[in-house]
Order: sequence, then structure tokens, then C-alpha cells
Amino acid sequence: MAERIDLEVPATLNALSTVRMVLGGLGARLDFCLDDLEDLYLATDELLRTALDTDAPDRLSVEVLLDDDALRFTAGTFKSAKLRADVTMHAEDCLDLCMLLRRTVDDVVLEDEDGAYRIVLVKRRKGGPA
Amino acid sequence: MSDPDEPRVNDPLDLEASPGQARASTAEDEDEDEASAHGGPAADAQGRGRDDSEKLDQYLLRRYHLYGDRTAREQLITMYLPLVRSLARRYASRGEHFDDLVQVGAIGLIKAIDRFDLSRGVELTTYATPNIVGEIKRYFRDKGWSVRVPRGLQELNIRLNKVIDELVPKLQRSPTINELAEAANATPEQVLEALESSQAYNSVSLQASPNGGAGEEDAGLIDYLGGEEEAYGAMEDRTTLAPGFAKLDKRERYILHLRFFEGLTQSQIAERVGISQMHVSRLIRRSLEKLREEIGELDNPQIMRPSGDDPE
Repeated sequence: MAERIDLEVPATLNALSTVRMVLGGLGARLDFCLDDLEDLYLATDELLRTALDTDAPDRLSVEVLLDDDALRFTAGTFKSAKLRADVTMHAEDCLDLCMLLRRTVDDVVLEDEDGAYRIVLVKRRKGGPA
Repeated sequence: MSDPDEPRVNDPLDLEASPGQARASTAEDEDEDEASAHGGPAADAQGRGRDDSEKLDQYLLRRYHLYGDRTAREQLITMYLPLVRSLARRYASRGEHFDDLVQVGAIGLIKAIDRFDLSRGVELTTYATPNIVGEIKRYFRDKGWSVRVPRGLQELNIRLNKVIDELVPKLQRSPTINELAEAANATPEQVLEALESSQAYNSVSLQASPNGGAGEEDAGLIDYLGGEEEAYGAMEDRTTLAPGFAKLDKRERYILHLRFFEGLTQSQIAERVGISQMHVSRLIRRSLEKLREEIGELDNPQIMRPSGDDPE
């Protein structure tokens, strides 16, 4: 049974800690291993930090959907073309945001919505107990 | 009763002898005092001097504890400052001023003198040494946190470090939060809070203990990485000319390389490099932070550009 949690936090670096704590609690409920949880922290941190730099929102809206074995993290909505490019475009041999996300989560999806978009990160349980 | 053959001042039971007659410790005595304190060869060679010193300790301790003689207390402090300096010197290469460490160690010495129990029959050096070292270690532990983190969380953090190191080989995988909580005798919420607070720990220095402790037995991270230099060299050409990476040291670049180019997990990196998973986590976050700052200065949103793609 899927469970959905919505968060709206100030668009500040301090608020990222709150997001991490929520993700940690939900990840623990899914029995994510520490490596997977750390990856989730890195991915969401880097994504939201870049969003703060490029899109300059007043508030950050985050939705977390828990499935049987996956956590689906959605942030947005954003309008910045630069953020979109950072998330989707990767230069070879380059540790950019796009590569970091690919290395830390299983899926990265952009959902277009009335001229804006939301960014979805999916992390599946892998390294924990069978 | 005192032995009539012994000089009166050296008889610890003779409370009538004047502290002013006691042998005063000087800077020249430092090495001798330390050797004496640890029962080293110098002490053996000068067993008589050591016996005298112990008797003097007992005498002064009795003067202080039984009669409230503050002069005796001050004399004990002065006598044992060379021991404090000697112990502080062991920690002097860890980024704190030597004089500060001596001050902190002196607090440990004073606590030892004040709390000394005459009825226990132990020597002051035996009791004072762990007090002094403990005070210095506590100082490092408290100074190691960039923001105020409650002591309980700091201690849970240290416990988690050990628990993770034990569980990874046992489980043959990275542990879950629930497994960590059970092993560390904490709740999952406490574990998450401790992990979050661990990012405030300033242990990313290559000279710092890789496991977050301050024990002298801990080697620096730099010692663990020597064997990795060759492997690192292979990737050096590939990535390090990029903007931002210049701000990282070689080892930080190497750990980022292992994680994001080789695809190793944090636990695997920890095992490869010989440091704790939590330390790897801090190093990665710290390195990304440095890159972000550097790239920000270059007005470039990317964390790192490919080598050869110089914006200049």
C-alpha cells in the first residue's frame, strides 16, 4: 500500500536537514541499507541545492511516495531551463549533477506541468536484507 | 613511624616535615619525571629518586587532603606539570596549540589531585595519567564538532562508527537503520539523528583519526592511503584538470573517483581505503561542498567539467 507524505519547507539550506530527516525515517521504514540511504541523501541534497541556486523558489515543495520496495521523491515545480539542463544533460567524464543523480538513484524523471516541471527521483531498496 | 635512617622530609607519614623542604621539580627534571611516572628505564636506574618522589607525593597529598594545605596542592601541580607537558606533546600534531593542550591537561591533573583517595593506596601518577589524557581527549572530541552537538549524540555517533565497522563484514552488506539501532542499543530515530549530526564533525583532516576517535593508537587517514597512490595515478590524468577539482586534495579526488566513476558504494570505499563508512560519507559531502564553492566562484553550475573543457 503506497503512502504519501507532502512537505513544504522554506527555500533555505537549513531546511534541507528537515528533508533529510524525513527521508531517513521513511527509508528506515523501507529497510534501506545505510549505503542506499546515503545515496538518497546525496541525490536529494545536490538536487535541491542546485534548485535553490538556479530556480530561486520561495518555498520548496517535496512529495515522498513510499511503495513496497521503493521511495519516490518529487520536488517542484520549477521553471528554470538551466536546472532542467543540469538534471538531464551529462558531459562525458564529468562529475556533474546529472551524473551524480544517475550514480545515486535508480530513476530520474521530469514531469512537465503547465509550462513548468517537477523532478522525480526513484530509489529502490537493493542493499538491505533480502 | 618514620625510619630514623631516612631523611625526615622523605617520610610520607611524617606530617610535621615542611613542604618547603621537599625536592622541587624543575624544567631539567622533566624527562626524569616522565620516566619516573611511567616506570621507565630512567626510573629503574634511579629507583631511589622515584621512591623519594612517591613519598613526597604521598606527603603532599596528605597535607592537602587532611589539612587543607593549598600550598601542598600547588606544589603537586607544579611537580606534575612536566608529565602534563609530556602527555600533551603526543597530541600536539593534531592541529591544536601545544600550550592549549597543556592547559587542558592541567585541568585533568588538578581534578586528579582533588579527587585522589588516600585510602586506595595507588600512586598519584597512576591515577593522574588517565585523568590528564582523558581531559585532552575530551577536548579534542568537543572541539571536533563544528556546531554544538549534545554529548549523548556524540557518543552514539562514536558507537555507530564501531557498530557499522562490525556489521558490514558480518552481514556482508551495508546495515539498515533498524539493524544499527538494535546493535547500538538506540532507537532508529536516535540513529538517524546521530547520523545527521555526524556531518557536523570536523574529522575530514587527513591528519585526523579516520574513525573519529582521538586515541593515540589511531593513525591518520593519510597513512591508509599510501598504497592507493598508484591506482589514483591512473585516474589523475582523466579528471583532475577540471575546474573545481584543483581545490580538492588528491585523496578527496580519489574518493570521489571511487564513488562516482568506479561506482563503489560508501561501504566498499571504506573497506578499500581503510576508514569508516561515516568518514567516507563526510569526505564525500565535504568534497562536493568544496567543489560547489569553487564552481560557484567560477559561475558554473556544474560540479565538475571534463578535463580539456577549460572555460578559459
